[in-house]
Amino acid sequence: MPRDQFNPSQAQEVAVAFATHSVDYMFIGKSGAILLGYPGTTQDVDVFPLKDPDNGRRILAALKDLGFSLDDTLAAEIIAGKDFVQIKSGPFDIDLVFAPDGLESYAEAKARMDTSTGFPVLNIRDIIASKRAARRARDLIELPLLEAFREVYEKRQK
Amino acid sequence: MDRDWLADFREQCERNLQRSVAERMRYGFCYVYKPVLDDAPWRSFDSTAAYRQWCRENLPVYLGYGDLPPSERAS
Repeated sequence: MPRDQFNPSQAQEVAVAFATHSVDYMFIGKSGAILLGYPGTTQDVDVFPLKDPDNGRRILAALKDLGFSLDDTLAAEIIAGKDFVQIKSGPFDIDLVFAPDGLESYAEAKARMDTSTGFPVLNIRDIIASKRAARRARDLIELPLLEAFREVYEKRQK
Repeated sequence: MDRDWLADFREQCERNLQRSVAERMRYGFCYVYKPVLDDAPWRSFDSTAAYRQWCRENLPVYLGYGDLPPSERAS
């Protein structure tokens, strides 16, 4: 259903709520790239949480704090860590991607995680690799731009 | 992609990197209603492949959630 209200600070709200409940996660996809400074736009927040029942329960608590409506079936899917959970029953859209394309393990991705913005964000190289692995038509135009951004971003980080 | 266009984009990246994270969020997150996709409170899938399949079979093509055609998969 169309939304009546929208707040662009959704990533900040997720970060605060997830930190409050000690959720183990990182931002991925275009939302992650935007936090790093990629000059694009997106409509939802994509997060890659650790697949673990206790972490799932912490996610539930955080999402409830954020105002998401979660029925019992959805709660069970989150605790089970179903590979892809898309939620639109809150103040903004959030995708919980427990098994993103192109990423072998959470631990390996976390070891390369970028925290330079104060947010836990998947490394820009992993964001690109994941988008490349997804092979969606919508990513076709984005990949050369993400690569160009990576060149500029990494040059500034040195 | 045109090289001059990419050069312009790199300059845009430089400018955007000078913005605060709050400004990046303000200009980077938006909302537009997406038919079908936005019409359920939640959905879940056993794999991202299953999600892609659902997108291919259910979403309007113009939303761009489908696969690349085989001719464009080489790179």
